[in-house]
Amino acid sequence: MIRHVRAKWLITYAAIFAGCSAEPELPQGVTGDPERGRLLLRQYGCGSCHAIPGVATARGNVGPPLDKIATRVYLGGVLPNTPGNMTRWIREPQKVDPLTAMPDLQVPEQHARDMIAYLYRLR
Amino acid sequence: MRVRLSSVLITLATLLAGGAVAGAIVLYAGFYNISATHQHLRPTYWLLKIGLRESVQRRAREVVVPPLDDPRLAGRGLALYRAHCAQCHGAPGVAPDPFALGMTPAPANLAHAALERTPAELYWVLKNGIKMTGMPAWAFRLTERDLWSVVAFMRELPRISAEDYAARARATSAVDEAAAVSSEPTSGTGDAMRGKMALRQYACTTCHSIPGVVGDQAPVGPPLARIATRKYLGGVLVNTPENMVRWLRYPREVDPGTAMPNLGVSERDAWDMTAYLYTLK
Repeated sequence: MIRHVRAKWLITYAAIFAGCSAEPELPQGVTGDPERGRLLLRQYGCGSCHAIPGVATARGNVGPPLDKIATRVYLGGVLPNTPGNMTRWIREPQKVDPLTAMPDLQVPEQHARDMIAYLYRLR
Repeated sequence: MRVRLSSVLITLATLLAGGAVAGAIVLYAGFYNISATHQHLRPTYWLLKIGLRESVQRRAREVVVPPLDDPRLAGRGLALYRAHCAQCHGAPGVAPDPFALGMTPAPANLAHAALERTPAELYWVLKNGIKMTGMPAWAFRLTERDLWSVVAFMRELPRISAEDYAARARATSAVDEAAAVSSEPTSGTGDAMRGKMALRQYACTTCHSIPGVVGDQAPVGPPLARIATRKYLGGVLVNTPENMVRWLRYPREVDPGTAMPNLGVSERDAWDMTAYLYTLK
């Protein structure tokens, strides 16, 4: 009984001091499959240009690292970070910013949706 | 009664731990009122004022004051004062702008400050700014000569009436500062330590996390860790020193779509920033 109460307090304290929340809150419109997204990020070779936490071999330093990309304000330095914009940026970066070095990788809509489901968990 | 050393130590440690816990509770529970409508308590205010005075006096000892009597110097100082100081500090017969009236601490009346402080102290504050107040550092904005010209004008300030100020202000044309800043020495190889300071002075950390530079580190743009080895800058320019300088100075000219603004970075400052950023491998 005493041990139980103590544990409860410990958790409360830990929560207070860490300011933590259990589940990361996803923005509306993120409906894809994050596990599939993680796989796809590897399959499209994103990691040869970007460092992506949780994606093995994604250690590139050609473009910016994608850690905490969920909290970044702009995508590609040009688009406000919304699920719609992230999908668009992944699918047709050159149409968004004709000057960008990021290539159009012919990513189908559903693949992009899964990728952003993973990326929005990086916070 | 004998007091054991160990019990003294235990008591001290308990008090210290209790203090730390109380402090943490005040900190994390948000009990401290950060509002600018809440003035400090009188003793706190007094303490901060002494700390400010002593810190400035100590550091101003090293400053060598040049001759300030040339009236052209004070004339230029007036133009700069109108462009950069009067908004917060006001002037004889001129109120500060509304935003400045809401600041805590309220920006000082400089006619009074000019009587209280030596020219060396005025110069030091102008150049370095004051942490945790609204006073910015002008070291990266004004040349040495311009800093001193503002000091020269401030020395006259206590003797200028509202009527005189208005008349002199009417007779003064706007200053051409772009010319002033670009006349600073530039070099092809930067000074990394100065660059690190420049990265803070151009508020780069309000959008980027930069290893070694303490700041907000907000993820507005990409983090700059390992930027030295990144292949592209801003996603558009191949990473070379010349391109880095160009990007830092004119990002909107390089990529009109970028959210990164032109910050008026001088060439020298850009080279120094580049030197620092290239240490981040």
